[in-house]
Amino acid sequence: MDSSMISMVIEQLLSFQTIIALVIGVVGGIAIGALPGLSTTMAIALLVPITFSMEPVAGLVMLTAIYTSATYGGSIASILLHTPGTPAAAATALDGYQLTLKGKASTAIGVATFSSMVGGFISGIALLFLAPPLAQLSLMFSAPEYLLLAIFGLTIIGSLSSGSMLKGLASGAIGLLIGTIGIDIITGFPRFTFGSMSLESGIALIPALIGLFSLSQVFILIENQVKSGKKVNAKQASGKFFPSKSIIKRITPTVLRSSGLGVIVGIMPGAGGDVGSWVGYNEAKRFSKRKEEFGKGSVEGVAGSESANNAVTGGAIIPMMTLGIPGSSATAVLLGGLMIQGLVPGSELFTTNGHLSYAIIIGFIIANILMGIVGFIGAKYFIKVLDVPQNLIIAIIITICMVGSYAINNSIFDIWVMVFFGIFGYFLRKAGFSTAPIILGMILGPIAERSLGQALVMSQDNFFVYLLSRPISVIFIVLILLTILTPLIMKLIRNRKKEAVS
Amino acid sequence: MKKKSLFFVTVILLVSMLVLAACGSSSDDNAAENFPDKPVTLIVPWSAGGGTDTGARLLQPYLEDELGVSVTVVNKTGAGGWIGWNDLANADPDGYTIGLANSPHIITGYINPTLNRDKDLDDFIGLGMHVVDPDTVSIRPDEDRFTNLDELIEYAQNNEVTVTSTGEGTDEHLVILNLNKEMGTNFVPVHFDGAAESRSSVLGGHVDVLVANLGEILSLYHDGDIEVLGVAAQERSSFMEDVPTLAEQGVEVYQESSRGFLAPAGTDPEVVQILEEALEKAINNEEHIEKMTELGFGVRYETGEDYMSILKDDEQVVIDLKELLGWE
Repeated sequence: MDSSMISMVIEQLLSFQTIIALVIGVVGGIAIGALPGLSTTMAIALLVPITFSMEPVAGLVMLTAIYTSATYGGSIASILLHTPGTPAAAATALDGYQLTLKGKASTAIGVATFSSMVGGFISGIALLFLAPPLAQLSLMFSAPEYLLLAIFGLTIIGSLSSGSMLKGLASGAIGLLIGTIGIDIITGFPRFTFGSMSLESGIALIPALIGLFSLSQVFILIENQVKSGKKVNAKQASGKFFPSKSIIKRITPTVLRSSGLGVIVGIMPGAGGDVGSWVGYNEAKRFSKRKEEFGKGSVEGVAGSESANNAVTGGAIIPMMTLGIPGSSATAVLLGGLMIQGLVPGSELFTTNGHLSYAIIIGFIIANILMGIVGFIGAKYFIKVLDVPQNLIIAIIITICMVGSYAINNSIFDIWVMVFFGIFGYFLRKAGFSTAPIILGMILGPIAERSLGQALVMSQDNFFVYLLSRPISVIFIVLILLTILTPLIMKLIRNRKKEAVS
Repeated sequence: MKKKSLFFVTVILLVSMLVLAACGSSSDDNAAENFPDKPVTLIVPWSAGGGTDTGARLLQPYLEDELGVSVTVVNKTGAGGWIGWNDLANADPDGYTIGLANSPHIITGYINPTLNRDKDLDDFIGLGMHVVDPDTVSIRPDEDRFTNLDELIEYAQNNEVTVTSTGEGTDEHLVILNLNKEMGTNFVPVHFDGAAESRSSVLGGHVDVLVANLGEILSLYHDGDIEVLGVAAQERSSFMEDVPTLAEQGVEVYQESSRGFLAPAGTDPEVVQILEEALEKAINNEEHIEKMTELGFGVRYETGEDYMSILKDDEQVVIDLKELLGWE
């Protein structure tokens, strides 16, 4: 980037249209993200035609701002109402909502805002400076790596089941089984569809997620209210939104780690924010000095998933801009927005059209900072949700659940899916099962199964030799073995010590 | 207290259901001479943001200008497009509900015997073709086992070669099966979830050959990241004039994926004619063609009747491959 290009980039960014687009993108994105069922991808898809008539930089800055802000917005409802606004925010609900119950909603929102902002910012920096090498790295991932990534992801279930390991694994297995419903991509055969066309594409993730997390939550709220009249209110949830120095000190390693992981997951075309947030959450727990707090209201847990899912956004844009290969479903739509402006992905984008591309990337970085500012200013209004009388909140959540489940595919069937999973989730939670492993199984099961089928064809009979001949696969295998074996070995050593002492 | 909140929840549930039910049913009879006097619904059987959806939303304003009423794009996704097509076939044949079809997906959907579809092409009337996107065969530029189509075919006659596809019975899969049938090659399909994963798998050297629609590989072609060996069409594409067709090189394989507009069978012929004329003008609008070209979509208008006969030809191709697909 020479100096003439820098001045052109600044000129592009300081145009009136770009600034307005940036603000609309950030504010609109947060609102869309906070509402379950209004997905990021859908919002971008509906806005792409509008950007035709806009300046290229303004249009694309608006779309990327929506992408990152909606990913952040998903955390707000997740923390305050246990109603994840996006699948990527499901992991945030685990600790975020526990913090709200403890009257620390402002801390949770503050940490989520800070982590999302830093995660998105870091991914933007990666996009600006490291795009070509990271794009090459993304090409090293294929079916075998996705298979192992999915298996690695499933080991997270172990850390999600705070109570009984058996119950956690059972939930995970339910999720995996649900993931087998639908037409198998390798053979084209419909499985467990019972002749229903609606089941052919499988149980849609978002209605199931809304049911398991939000509707079941409504039932639990009603039950608690009936039993004891207990409720959470914002008066308990006072305090500053910007995280205190001690909290920032505590979450910084987590935020940096999750941001890095998020960028890596982001550049993979087969995995997006929903996978990234779980990986970020799990690694936050693994490296935490206060593991026992996880699941009971850990700020590190919130930081771990929120910085990772926002870091996925910049990461997913990298292969889209350099190779024309979108790293997530939202960036697949963004690609259309790019091309309609006559901007063809690839080297030309960074040379001939460099002044536009760099303006878009820097616009994306600014969007992340603006998102943080809007988040901190807005937090005191978001939290007012807790002031709303519980009866009204229940009504609002149910309405949003209904509309959200319908809107995602314009399908009445999905509303029934949501209601079913709501009732199912309620009874599971009453019986001490965690619902998070079900969602994890539903996300990762199909990835694992599909990748296994692909890898078996690609390996042409020598499956294990094939896996071991691939460097990234070997790294994953080592990670998986470490994850599974470390607790066992630790236990063994502890038992030995005990024996020695006695 | 308990009863009160339970009652409250029940009421909310019921009201929401009623509102939704009301959204689903709205129809009244309109004479053909007044057509159209209310908004037309366009069913897109894929999610917002995909190629079909983008094409539909690009055409939407031009179609609205021609019809003089608004056109609402509704995404009805699932079952490889058949949720949308099933809804279209069951819609009132009053012209106010039309849909976009993709071939060969719509055809393989009902020819695959395991899916037990009760509908086929006879349940629809063609209104006009919109887009044609031929399949292409490409390799990595640094590939050393084969550098042109002849060498690839010869190599694949003696060795197993992996090729990208996007599922059973998709256009990519039909290309692979047809190559094996015509040339005696051993191409093995690796089914990916979409073109993004296909492309990165070939670029990364994990799969040998990239079979994908032309529009999906344009930027890779322009950057020289892949070498396009041939286009599976009757004629060369204006998007890549220098790439020969497969037939020019002695490989008689033709496969494209096409998109066009359908109405439910039983729609009044006068209404069909109004829709057909509006679509023709909208699709041939130069501004529309220009925008589509920028996205790599090849616009090709055909009348409703011609579109239907193209679909019938596509049907025959799939029927001929039934044995190789294991669908008998």
